[in-house]
Amino acid sequence: MAVLKPEENRRTFERLANIREIVFGVQDGVLTTAGVLAGLSGAVAVRSQVILAALASTVAGALSMGAGAYLGTHAASAVLRGELERVRRESEQQPYVVQESLIDALGKEGLSREAGYRVVKLLSSSPNVLYTTAEEKLYGLAGATFGNAMIDGVLMGVAFLIGALVPLLPFMLIPSVRFGLIAAMATTALVLFAVGYVFEGRFSGERRPALAGLRFLAIALSAATIGYVIGLLIAPIGTVAPG
Amino acid sequence: MLKPGDAAPPFDLPCALDGKLSHLSLGSIRSEMVVLFFYPRDFSFICPTEVIGFHKARAAFKAEDTSIVGVSVDDAETHRRWARELGGLSYPLLADEGGKVVRAFGVLDDSENVALRATFILDPKRTILYAVASPINVGRSVGETLRVVRALRSGKLCPADWDPGSDLGPAVAKH
Repeated sequence: MAVLKPEENRRTFERLANIREIVFGVQDGVLTTAGVLAGLSGAVAVRSQVILAALASTVAGALSMGAGAYLGTHAASAVLRGELERVRRESEQQPYVVQESLIDALGKEGLSREAGYRVVKLLSSSPNVLYTTAEEKLYGLAGATFGNAMIDGVLMGVAFLIGALVPLLPFMLIPSVRFGLIAAMATTALVLFAVGYVFEGRFSGERRPALAGLRFLAIALSAATIGYVIGLLIAPIGTVAPG
Repeated sequence: MLKPGDAAPPFDLPCALDGKLSHLSLGSIRSEMVVLFFYPRDFSFICPTEVIGFHKARAAFKAEDTSIVGVSVDDAETHRRWARELGGLSYPLLADEGGKVVRAFGVLDDSENVALRATFILDPKRTILYAVASPINVGRSVGETLRVVRALRSGKLCPADWDPGSDLGPAVAKH
């Protein structure tokens, strides 16, 4: 008989949860670098300076995003674990509160009080099962909620790095600032469209994945355009009159 | 909440008794004393210990010519199934679905719209002699209720922690 395998399912969901880091990292890497390139190309005339600044921004961004993801997941996990422990302690001290709350929760989901009572009575035959169910049903807390801080951090940093290379590589390879920027923007748009298309469109089973891709594309164009315009506006400030 | 000296509001409600649905009015209860206890809900993990406790002490209450009556806002059919779930009860569970009697005794928990855990002991004229309410997380003491019934029926002054066999004060009133 085919049955669901909870541990396998949990691992799959934990892996799927990492899509957040990948999409966030790639999108941020692409957009930040494209924005830097667009902004500095408007403000700074020297191509090598633009590349140097973009490289510095890429390295700093990857490290910062990676560290941020690590610290964020670590802090969230610590808070959640503390909360779970508190909930479990309270549950052990006042099991009837948990039992009554579970009956109410099951009632809100459609079970009669009597049926809910019987379900909770069965669950109560194992305190561990009762508390685990309470954690999930009453507090929305579960083991799968915890991410792996190290994996999240590395994934985020690497994803940012890869994303940053998308606009940076064509800009570095094409000698003309103008054409390099056009190529950078084109690859940026293409990759963001692809990320949206694949992750939000295909993976989620959306009927029209192209729409998800277009959403990413719209964001990319907006960020790049705004960055370029701001670069043009602040250019006069950095201009030093020849002595 | 009504207090000692107040007349118990009369009631005539559907009830579950001996696995059947029936009706019970306050006026139809013939025993000398009545223990009327309110509880929040059937099919709850908080109430069954005292509901069963009163059932187990039925002989002792009967010896004191005292009837036990439970009241909650559940319907009579739910009472019947709840009593069966608990292995059968020897006293009626009244179905105060609209909460009219619960309100009349002043023991409605407004936030949950259920009865508080309150106990009243009524004398032969159905005047309240004793009234107590417990917080939701503290079960009533069936033994203490029985002790109070015995003390009230002794008609004497009963010192603190009195129980049958202990010294009594002078007679005050016989209930």
